[in-house]
Amino acid sequence: MSTPPPADSGTTSSEPNVASASPVAAAPAARKEAPPEKPSDARRRSRIIFSFWLIVLLLGLPIWWKTTTIYRADLPLQEMLDWSDGKACRPVFPLRISIRAGALQEQEAQNLLRLTQHALDDLNDFSGHHLRLQLAPPSATASHDPDSVLTIRLAPGDATTAAFDPHEPILDITYPPNAVPSHTASSSPLATYVAGQLRSAFAEEQATISYLLSTNSIPSDHRPQGLAPDVAQSLAKRTTRSLRYAPTYHLTLSLFASGSLPSSWDIERAIADYMKPVLDVLSPIHNFTIDTQVQLYATPGVQSQVLNKEDLSSFINAAEWPLSPSIGGAPTINFVIFVGNQTIAAPGPDADPSRSWLIPQWGAVYLLPLPADTAHVGAATLKQPLLTFTSHLLALTGAPRSGSLPLRLSTLARIRSADLLLRASSTLGSLARLALALPSISIPPRVADGVATTIAHLRLACDSLGTPDGLRHARVAEAEAERAFFEKSMVGQLYFPDEHKIAVYLPLLGPVAVPLIMGLLNEVKAWRRRRKEKADEAKEKKSE
Amino acid sequence: MAAVAKVSPGQAAGLYAAAAALRLAVFAFLPGLSDLLAARVEVSTPVTSFKRLQEGLFLYNHNVSPYDGGVYHQAPLLLPLFSLLPSFAALPLPTDLVYVVLDLLSARAIWRIADSGEAGSSALFTSPRRAKRWSGFVLAAFFLFNPFTLATCLGRSTSAFTTYAVLHAIANAVSGAPLGAMVALAFAGYLSLSPLLLLPPLVLLAYDRRRPAGPAPRSGPAFAAVCAAAVAGVLGALFLLSYLVTGSWEFLPSTYGVQLTLSDLSPNIGLWWYFFVEMFDSFRSFFLAVFWLHLSSYVAGLTLRIRRQPLVVLTLLLGIHGIFKPYPSIADTSLFLALVPLYRHVFPLMRYTFLSASVILYSAFLGPAFYYLWIYAGSGNANFFYAITLVWGLGQSLLVCDLMFAVLRDELEVERPEIVGKEIRQI
Repeated sequence: MSTPPPADSGTTSSEPNVASASPVAAAPAARKEAPPEKPSDARRRSRIIFSFWLIVLLLGLPIWWKTTTIYRADLPLQEMLDWSDGKACRPVFPLRISIRAGALQEQEAQNLLRLTQHALDDLNDFSGHHLRLQLAPPSATASHDPDSVLTIRLAPGDATTAAFDPHEPILDITYPPNAVPSHTASSSPLATYVAGQLRSAFAEEQATISYLLSTNSIPSDHRPQGLAPDVAQSLAKRTTRSLRYAPTYHLTLSLFASGSLPSSWDIERAIADYMKPVLDVLSPIHNFTIDTQVQLYATPGVQSQVLNKEDLSSFINAAEWPLSPSIGGAPTINFVIFVGNQTIAAPGPDADPSRSWLIPQWGAVYLLPLPADTAHVGAATLKQPLLTFTSHLLALTGAPRSGSLPLRLSTLARIRSADLLLRASSTLGSLARLALALPSISIPPRVADGVATTIAHLRLACDSLGTPDGLRHARVAEAEAERAFFEKSMVGQLYFPDEHKIAVYLPLLGPVAVPLIMGLLNEVKAWRRRRKEKADEAKEKKSE
Repeated sequence: MAAVAKVSPGQAAGLYAAAAALRLAVFAFLPGLSDLLAARVEVSTPVTSFKRLQEGLFLYNHNVSPYDGGVYHQAPLLLPLFSLLPSFAALPLPTDLVYVVLDLLSARAIWRIADSGEAGSSALFTSPRRAKRWSGFVLAAFFLFNPFTLATCLGRSTSAFTTYAVLHAIANAVSGAPLGAMVALAFAGYLSLSPLLLLPPLVLLAYDRRRPAGPAPRSGPAFAAVCAAAVAGVLGALFLLSYLVTGSWEFLPSTYGVQLTLSDLSPNIGLWWYFFVEMFDSFRSFFLAVFWLHLSSYVAGLTLRIRRQPLVVLTLLLGIHGIFKPYPSIADTSLFLALVPLYRHVFPLMRYTFLSASVILYSAFLGPAFYYLWIYAGSGNANFFYAITLVWGLGQSLLVCDLMFAVLRDELEVERPEIVGKEIRQI
C-alpha cells in the first residue's frame, strides 16, 4: 500500500544539496537530503513491487484473457446471405393436375392434354408456379389422386360447364360431344377453356406467391413481372389482415351481453356442429385450442344505435372486456358475439346491413339481436355467427378467398410454406449481417446449432415445396431461425460499442494501475542508475 | 494503564462470568433483540446467517440435501454439530450457550496472544515502546464488550466460529504450536474461505515462535512446506468428512462457489454486492477475478514489507478482509478491532485515530438508518445504503493504513533514532 517515506528519496535527488545541521533552523525552501537508502531496503522494495506485478501478470492477465474473450461460433455467413438473397433456393411449386377422362379414347385424351398444356404454358408468365398436367390412369378407382393438387373430371354433356366439387379438390368439366379436338388440330376451344379454368382457379395463389417473392429480396430474374398495382394492393391488404403464422392458434369465443341476459349459451354443441369441420380440415396446417366465456353487463366502446365504419374499430371496449392478448404463448384469435340491437350502417341504400366485421390480426365481432328475455342461447341461434366466424377464421389465417374449400386449404399450405421459407431466409440474412456488422458480439454455440438446423430444414423445405413435408420443414426452419436470432446473450450485447469498455475498465483498474505502474517505473529508473554507477566505478578503477 | 498489572484468577473468572451473564441475560430476557440482530444485514450475511443455518438444518434433519433451495451456503459440518443440540425452536439455551462459549474461547485466545508479548517484541524486532501495553485482561474485555462482538454473538452469526478458529490459530502460532495453528487455520478456511489467505504470515509467525527443542524442521522452506501440507491435509479431511455427511460434492459450489462467484447479491456492508448488481453480465466473471485478486494481492506485499512482525501482517490482513471480502459483516470488523489494541505501544504514532474512530462510529449509526430508509420507509434507494457502506469501508481502511504507518514508523525509529519525536515530511 504505502511505501515508507525514505523510498521517495530517489526521485528528488536532483535538488541542490543544502546540508543543514539542524532541521528546525532550515527554511522551508532548503530541503534536507534524505540519508542514503540501505541496499536491503531497496531490495525489499523491489521484491514487493515484483510480488504485485507477479500477481498481475501470472493471474490477472490470463484471467482477463479467459473471461473477456468473446466466443464466436463459426457461422456459414456466405450461405446464410445466399439464402436471404434467394440465391440458395429458387422457390418452385410444381403442381400436378390429373385429368380423368373416362369417356375419351386414350389417344384423344393425350391430344387434349397436350393442347391444354400448350395453352397453359402460353398463358403462364411465372416460372416458379408451374401447372403440369398428367393423365390419370384409367384403372384408378379413387376419385382423387393424392399426389396431385387437383383432378379434372371430364364428362360429356350438353354444354361446356365447369364446377368445383365442394368436398374434394375436383373440377368437374362437361363438354359437348363435338368439342373433342381431332387428332391433327393444333388448337381446340375445349383445351383453351380448360386452361382458362385452371388459370383462374390458381390465379390468386399465383398472385399471392409472386407478391410474397416480390416483397422479399428475391432476385428479379425469376420474380414474376407485371403484378398489377391494384392486385398488389389488395394482396398487401390481405397480408396485413392475416395473422402471422403460428403452429397453434388459440380461439377465444366470447358472448358479451349488455344486460343480465342471456346468461348461458350452447356453445360446445355449436362449435362441434359448425366450426369443428373447418378446424379439422385446417389441422394439417394449424392446431387450435379453444376457450369460451360469457360476460354480462358489458358496455361496448361505442354506444350509438347505428355503427358507422369509424365506430367499428373502437367498438371493442379494450379497457374493460377481459380479452387477454395471448394465452400460453400461442397467438389468440378473438371471436366476440355481442348481444344487442345495434346495427352496422349499410354501405349503400340497397345493400343488406351486415352483422359482423373482421378486425385485422385480432378476430371478429358479430352483433346478435335477441329478444330481451332470452336466458339461453341455443345452438341453432349460434349457427349463423359461427359460420361467419369460420369464414373470418379462414381470412385471418390467410387462406385465399376464391375456389372450393379443399383447393383453398391446399393453397393456404403452399402460401404458408413459401412465407415461412422466405421469412426464415431473411432472418438468417439478418443474423449474418449482424454478425458481420458487430465483430465484438459473441456468438454462442447454440446460435451456430440453430443456424445449421435452419439451413438443413430450409434445404429440405425448398426441395419439397408444395407438399405437406415442405410446410413441416419450413415451420421448423422458421422457429429455429427466430430462436437463433433472438438468443438472449446476444441481444444484450447489441448496443454495447467498444468505447463503453473504457467506462467499464477505467474507473476501477485505472486508479489501481497508477501506483503499480509508477512503482515499476521507479524501480526501472533506480536499476538503470545503479547500473550506471557501477559502470562509472569500473571506469574510475580502470583509470586509476 | 501503562504497566501490566498481574491479574488474579478471580478477576479473570469475573470477566468471563460478566460477559457470559450479559449475553445470556439478553438471550433470556430480550429475545426480540437477538431476533432483530439476527435479521440485520450488518450481522447476518448469506454465508453466516443463523436463519439460513436453521433452514439448512431442517432440510438436513429431513434427509434432504441442505443445499436444495439455494438458501444455505455454509459449511456442511455445522449441520451435524447443531443437530446434536436440542432443537433451537424448542430449547434455545444449548445453542445460545455454544455461542457464548465461543466468544469466551475467542477472548481466551486473545488473552494468550496479548500475554505472549509478540506484538511488542517479535523474534526479529523489538519495539523500544513495548513497555506501554495493555494486559490480556484488558484485551479480552475489549473483545467481549465490543458492541460489534456482542451483536455478532446475539445475532448468532456463524462467523463466531471463524473468529474463534482464526484467533485460536494465531494463539497457537504465538505459543509455539505450529501444527495446532495450521489445523485451526484449516478450520477457519473451511468455514469461510478467506482466512486461507492468512497462511503465509501465519507460517512466518509460527516459524519465528517455534520452540527451539520442538520437532518442527529447522529450515524455513521445509517448515513452510510442512505447514502448507498440514493445512491441505486437514482441509482434505474436512472436505471428505463433509462429503460423507451430505452424500455429495454439491457443498463445494454451494458454499465456496457462492463466495467466489457472488451469486447471492443480497445487500451487506461490503463493497461487492452493489458493484456486481450494476456490472454488465459479460464482464462479471472478469471483475469477480479482479476483486478476488485484489483481496489476495495484499498478502505477498505486506508479508514482505513487515517480515519482522508477522502478527502485524495478520492484523492488517484481517482488517483488509473486513473491508474487501465478498460477504463481510461486523464480525470481521470485531475480529480486527480485537487485535488492534495489541499495538497500544504504537498508538501515539498514529495520526488519524480521531478521524477513523469517528468515521467508523458515524457509519455504524447511519448505516442502519439508511438501510431502513431504503428497505422499509422507501424514501431512499440502494445508493443511500451503498454510500454509507463506502464510508464504513473508508473508516476501516483509514484505521488499517494508520496502524500500518505507525508500525512502520516504529520500525524506522529503531534504525534511525535521530527522528524520534519529529514530524514526518515528504522530501
